[in-house]
Amino acid sequence: MVTRSNIRRHQGIGTAPPKVDDIRSTIKRIFSYMASERKMFFVVLSLIVASSALSLIGPYLLGRAVDLVVSEPNPSVLFRMLLLLLFVYAFQSGFLWLQNYWMIGIAQNAVYKMRNHLFSHMQRLPILFFQKYQQGELMSRLTNDMENVSRTLNTAVVQFVTSVLTITGTLVMMIWLSPLLTLLTVTIVPVMYFGMKWITKRTGKYFKQQQNHLGEVNGYVEEMFSGQTIVSMFSREEKVIEDFKAKNEALRDSGYWAQVYTGFIPKLMNMLNNVSFAIIVGGGGLLAVNGYISIGIIVTFTTYSRQFTRPLNDLANQFNMILSAVAGAERVFDIIDQSEEEKDEQYANRISNVKGDVRFEEVDFSYENDQPTLQNISFQAKPGETIALVGPTGAGKTTIISLLSRFYEPTKGGIYIDDHPLQDVTRESLRSQMGVVLQDSTMFHTTIRENIRYGKLEATDEEVEEAARLAHADEFIRQLPGGYDTVLDSDGHGVSHGQRQLLSIARAMIADPSLLILDEATSSIDTVTEMKINDALAKLMKNRTSFVIAHRLNTIRSADLILVLQEGRIIEKGSHRELVKQNGFYADLVRTQMAENQALS
Amino acid sequence: MRKIFTYSLSYKWSAIIALSLMGIELIVELVQPLIMAKIIDEGIVSKDYSVVSLWGGLLLVLSLLAFAAGVTNSFFAARLSQGVGYDLRRDLFEKIQSFTNRNFQSYSTPGLITRITNDVVQIQNLLFMFVRIALRAPLFILFALVMAFTIDAKLALILVVSVPLFLVFLSFILTKGVKLFKSVQQKVDGVNTVIRENLTGIRLIKGFNRGQYEEERFTSVNDDLMTQNKRALWLMEVAMPVVMLGVNLIILVILWLGAERLAANTIQPGEVVALVNYATRIMFTFSIFTFLIMVFSRGNASANRITDILEEETPSYLKEQHGEKHELKGEVRFQDVSFSHESQPTLDSITFKAEAGETIGILGETGSGKTSLLHLIPRLYERTDGAIYLDDYKIEDLDVKSLRTQISLVPQEIHLFSGTVRDNIAWGKEEATAEEIEAAAKQAQIHDYILTLPERYETQLGQRGVTFSGGQKQRLSIARALVRKPKVLILDDSTSALDAHTESRLMEALKGQSCTVFMVAQKISSLKAAHTILILHKGKIVAEGSHEQLLQESAYYREVYHSQLEEAQ
Repeated sequence: MVTRSNIRRHQGIGTAPPKVDDIRSTIKRIFSYMASERKMFFVVLSLIVASSALSLIGPYLLGRAVDLVVSEPNPSVLFRMLLLLLFVYAFQSGFLWLQNYWMIGIAQNAVYKMRNHLFSHMQRLPILFFQKYQQGELMSRLTNDMENVSRTLNTAVVQFVTSVLTITGTLVMMIWLSPLLTLLTVTIVPVMYFGMKWITKRTGKYFKQQQNHLGEVNGYVEEMFSGQTIVSMFSREEKVIEDFKAKNEALRDSGYWAQVYTGFIPKLMNMLNNVSFAIIVGGGGLLAVNGYISIGIIVTFTTYSRQFTRPLNDLANQFNMILSAVAGAERVFDIIDQSEEEKDEQYANRISNVKGDVRFEEVDFSYENDQPTLQNISFQAKPGETIALVGPTGAGKTTIISLLSRFYEPTKGGIYIDDHPLQDVTRESLRSQMGVVLQDSTMFHTTIRENIRYGKLEATDEEVEEAARLAHADEFIRQLPGGYDTVLDSDGHGVSHGQRQLLSIARAMIADPSLLILDEATSSIDTVTEMKINDALAKLMKNRTSFVIAHRLNTIRSADLILVLQEGRIIEKGSHRELVKQNGFYADLVRTQMAENQALS
Repeated sequence: MRKIFTYSLSYKWSAIIALSLMGIELIVELVQPLIMAKIIDEGIVSKDYSVVSLWGGLLLVLSLLAFAAGVTNSFFAARLSQGVGYDLRRDLFEKIQSFTNRNFQSYSTPGLITRITNDVVQIQNLLFMFVRIALRAPLFILFALVMAFTIDAKLALILVVSVPLFLVFLSFILTKGVKLFKSVQQKVDGVNTVIRENLTGIRLIKGFNRGQYEEERFTSVNDDLMTQNKRALWLMEVAMPVVMLGVNLIILVILWLGAERLAANTIQPGEVVALVNYATRIMFTFSIFTFLIMVFSRGNASANRITDILEEETPSYLKEQHGEKHELKGEVRFQDVSFSHESQPTLDSITFKAEAGETIGILGETGSGKTSLLHLIPRLYERTDGAIYLDDYKIEDLDVKSLRTQISLVPQEIHLFSGTVRDNIAWGKEEATAEEIEAAAKQAQIHDYILTLPERYETQLGQRGVTFSGGQKQRLSIARALVRKPKVLILDDSTSALDAHTESRLMEALKGQSCTVFMVAQKISSLKAAHTILILHKGKIVAEGSHEQLLQESAYYREVYHSQLEEAQ
């Protein structure tokens, strides 16, 4: 008789279970994604019950068959018995396959729904949310945690239920067949428990050590490899190799003990299996000599004992797996439970053909009862004007732009667009009138053509190329081996930073927005590209109301209105000429930048 | 894989001992069913207590013996795998230390890190498995078949025929499964890419109102993932039920034929039970096979990736003592130098001469070859054509180490190491005294700032320490370059974050050093004072001369100059 078996990892009894807040409600929630397939799920559950029952009947019948073979060879009785066994085996395999097949379907559908739900919810979260969490942290929830849930639903659920059923069922059958032999068989359970506990206590310790040392090796290697030019330039190779040796040795030593102790686990399980085999054959043999039990029962018990001890150890493992998936699911639900961006007010209307008159009236803003980020902001931008926002990091420049895009709502005061209060305008229609060029020049992992088309999804290829031409990007795109069909890396390998900016301008160009938002880059870009960028920007900004978070003096200088911000307040406001005359913060700023450039003449 | 095998040879005794201990376990497992047959036939059937307890006791002793062997095996197996892991990491790291920039570019830093950590771990697992269970599975099957033959040849024949069939079936499923799971991994990557882009570009996505579009994009990759995942898992789930059913059928056949023989008295009852037991155990071995093939295919891929690195060609001039050591004055001469990078011409017959102590400015667009040109001087890159002379020595006649100690480079991308400020400056010259370090910091215009730090020169940098601004990092890395009093100083756009005032003080300080300076910059204000300015365009020098000369002769230079001047007005 044969059962499923799994290769265990270095876990089991004694390892600390993952922390979970509210296991019941989380599991309920996970199952809510299977609601449409509830019937199917119950079918799977009954299949599990059936296949577990068959896995108990199988060895019993086999024992009976052996007895028949050994004692009174009666071909017709034996034939019927074997036929019965054949059915049992066939159904057991069939049920096993079906239960797994259906469970995988249900699980993957549920995970699919969960992923979609999560992602679409993310699209509705306010921008504040993304500032609150680290990107790496979010990434890990969206990928690792979801993957964990997926893996567990596929197998662990079925296995867990099977294990529980098999253990209880086997125990009942064994007691029914021979209480005395059962008692002999279960003597190994305490040995197994304490043995595993002894081992996992040690593996836990050394695994942690190994993990730390591996982290150190990783960090050191990363630092040295990324600084390789410096290492070889300053001929430090030997010193570095020497340093690495120490870390490598520490890793080897902790790894050695971690592996030694992990290696004990399967040996212990093997030994227990063998010992129980010996006990059953030896002890059972003595009982059989006295005629208490038959040879068939010994055969049955040799299979049962394996069926019994194996899941006993797996159980701890599977339970930990389920717990860790539940913990992962909790982190996922945590995101889904974040409140969405506020809904548009009922009276809000779509806005189209914005002229571009923007007015802020005494606007205050603070994040969730925090210190005020913006205070008393008032200004007006007439259609087609350029507004430059100047000031140190954290002064509130980005916040003003976020308010205008309705990423946040002002705590006090009013914002008007073409004389409509902003809350009367739906977010979607407002944003469709806006175009953005951001400093980091985000690009997507697709072709250049599609990246530009992102600004206007229905744009034709001609429109894309026209926009690229206007943005001075056409020339370099055509020089790339793949032309417009060159696939960009998300990290932007293949095109320079300046070229990314040109692409990002082309993307805004094709969107043809009434309002334009620019976050200028500060990084060093070569002179020629910079000239191109300046020219492209000038074209883009023409006849559009533009808000520029400005760093370049010439953008600032040509702006119609300059807002100088500091600690959330407008400290100076006016044109370049006016502000220079005021001889305040702005004039100071200009002087520093001038000093740099004056070295030219 | 073969290369990895040679690494195991240094631990051959550990491997041999581990394998022999595994052999003991194997033997114990093989004789168990035979003893069981003995107990049944000579004990139970003939009702002999002493036989049952004798052989039963032997079974128990053998189990403990196997356990002792298994536990001891752990120590030797771990010694082998950890030892080989250590050696691999050591050799990989040393090898990578001799990598040139070109080698680095063909692997990428994260790729190299994965190899030295992850891939080595895979190899360790593979080796550990190998001396513990890998050989055991096939050996067990082989010996179990032989044992079965000794009991009854014809009955055993059933096993001989069916076992290979199962193995073929399993390996078919597995090879297909491995392929499918690889494509599942690709789909997972696809989903992750969309998520990552969504997170980094969320402002843009919201700004352009593309939530709906992104959802559609995600649904489609998510759909792909689900479909592929189902396909792979479904396939793998076929394996176990089929094998189970197959083995169980064989057991039934053994019983049926066994009954016939028993009636004919050509076999003992205990022997039938033993045969059934062998069949059952072979079945358990199959599931180990599944696992082994997985570990092996993963380990094999890792082994290939590691071998690639170990066999990567690195220039010989870096390895041994090579060439002569000379004190250089700092004269640098390029004669028709060309350089191609991955068969793409980057520099094309560059000729110029820098007298000792001169400052050479270099101006050009991104991708015009500035960095490549500068990297040729300390031989971080190797020219493809032409000749480079330092003080009239051919560059390849000089010992690389001694050449590099007389040159300093401040790369465009500043890299500082974790450690103190002092450690970082001392990277330039290990044995530098405190005075030398301070002097360099003063020249680099960073000394005053360092004094404002909580622990001055002993302040920790990096993750756990102070973070420096871009300009401060640049100055610190210039100090690192100056501490060794180089004869040639290369500044690759490394003053970009300095304000004009600091920059001019720095240039003033450099004049006191008698060294040749190569300087790439975007601002003409930085280059104005250079003796010669080279203008690079698409790998060629299109103009050269002093600031005044170029203003007259180069239209390009004039254009750049005026555009920058405009800003200043």
